[in-house]
Amino acid sequence: MSEPEFFGPDWAAAVRDALAAGPSEQARAGKLAMYWDFFEQVKAGYAASWALWCRDLPAGPAALYIQWGGGTVTDCRVTRSGDTGLGDTGLGDTGLGDTGPADQPAATYVLGMDYAGWQALHDGYDPQRTVMYRKILVEEGNILEFFKTIYFFTECLGVIGGVPAAFPALAVH
Amino acid sequence: MAERKSPTAVLHEGPRALSDQQVRDIEGAELKEVLDVDIDDVIEYVHKGLKSLPDYTTLYRKYLKQRWDVYDLDFTQDKIDWNEKMTEAERNSFLAIASGFHHGERQVEIELPVFMIGAGEEEKLHIAAQVEDEARHTVFFDRFYREVVGLQGDDIMDILDASFPWVAETFVGPFGLLAYQADEVRKNPYDERARVRYGTTYFLWIEGVLALSVMKVTLSYARWRGFLPAYYTGFTATCRDESRHVQGGMKYLQDAVRKDPTMTREIHETLRTILTLAGVASREVIYEPLGWTQDEVRMLMFQQLGRKLNDVGIRLPPDLQAMVGSVQPVLAGG
Repeated sequence: MSEPEFFGPDWAAAVRDALAAGPSEQARAGKLAMYWDFFEQVKAGYAASWALWCRDLPAGPAALYIQWGGGTVTDCRVTRSGDTGLGDTGLGDTGLGDTGPADQPAATYVLGMDYAGWQALHDGYDPQRTVMYRKILVEEGNILEFFKTIYFFTECLGVIGGVPAAFPALAVH
Repeated sequence: MAERKSPTAVLHEGPRALSDQQVRDIEGAELKEVLDVDIDDVIEYVHKGLKSLPDYTTLYRKYLKQRWDVYDLDFTQDKIDWNEKMTEAERNSFLAIASGFHHGERQVEIELPVFMIGAGEEEKLHIAAQVEDEARHTVFFDRFYREVVGLQGDDIMDILDASFPWVAETFVGPFGLLAYQADEVRKNPYDERARVRYGTTYFLWIEGVLALSVMKVTLSYARWRGFLPAYYTGFTATCRDESRHVQGGMKYLQDAVRKDPTMTREIHETLRTILTLAGVASREVIYEPLGWTQDEVRMLMFQQLGRKLNDVGIRLPPDLQAMVGSVQPVLAGG
């Protein structure tokens, strides 16, 4: 079976299932129970949403919109920039504030990472360093609030990176 | 370097008084003389400076006198100590602690330049010096990991990649926060509230609490056992550099709060996020081979935080005080 297209609807569905299931036993094995207790506590009460953008996707800018609630993912889908009229300039440049894709509510946190960063994450690059090295950045949202649950976010980022995906080649300009 | 007092002795002795001569000895020591300086005296020296915070020009002039050449260090004996004298348990504990610093120095080096944009002219001199200090500290750890631990790589990032498996998952808490706050300052370099939040993470927490606490653990071990002379020399010189950074950072926060008392809220809100994260650990680090226990490291961190807050006149509301009690030792600094 071929892998779902990165930032395609099947990939978003697989991400939803993976996030709902949480990190694998292998990922959990090397870390203290205290750490996972914190993760589960955050997950149980988390009611925020993320819009995770990829600006230079070959098919055009798109966001993976993830809504959390009731201890699971309640909505997970890909929206294209065509939905929002944002063009390829990036949400942060539009002055639209924390407005999410037009067909869904505003995301609590809007983040962006370029295609190479997404590919690296998929190839196993560490989620912690993805954050620390600013490969992914918060473009809209309260940073201090976002970081109170950063361990939850980085573990989820690792889960997203682990979902199989086919990456189309970037066009050569 | 002779075997000396136990690593944790100063915890039970409490704060010590430094004579004027001791201060002059610390401030004026050449690199080769730093081997004979007691790390507890250098940490005390940090706080002595906080009582009457020096201005930025004074800190810059101190930098010009205290700057040391990281390539003057000779790690030959350290390599022998590492491979032939230290036990595997000691090496493992040491790496679990030092690796946070290896990455922490790199992080603070690259996150600092944006803070210069909105700073006063004299403060810019001090920050420029601090950036150079942090770059030198990054090279210090690069050399230590190559020449003593034996990691191999073509460039600095190769060595960082190789030591990263020893870094705890919770490292992203303070250092990821700093990266994102640096980006906030980059976008709005004159936003004083964003600068105060950034300064709280960098100067108060990472440098004032984490760095000074963790420095003491590995340095007091090296001094106690009489091992790793080049590491002791370079890292004690690093601690002396940090004294200028902490003093400059605390001056910045103190001035900001005096100018606008509502800035205290930014400090508290930043600490609320940091302390939320600091209550969680992802790995168990065994301190005993280095002469410490987890409770003693935690006590050390409490002491560092309490002294910084007292010295610069910042108090914590009751909810933050309660959070301090659950802090887990985080093995990183910068």
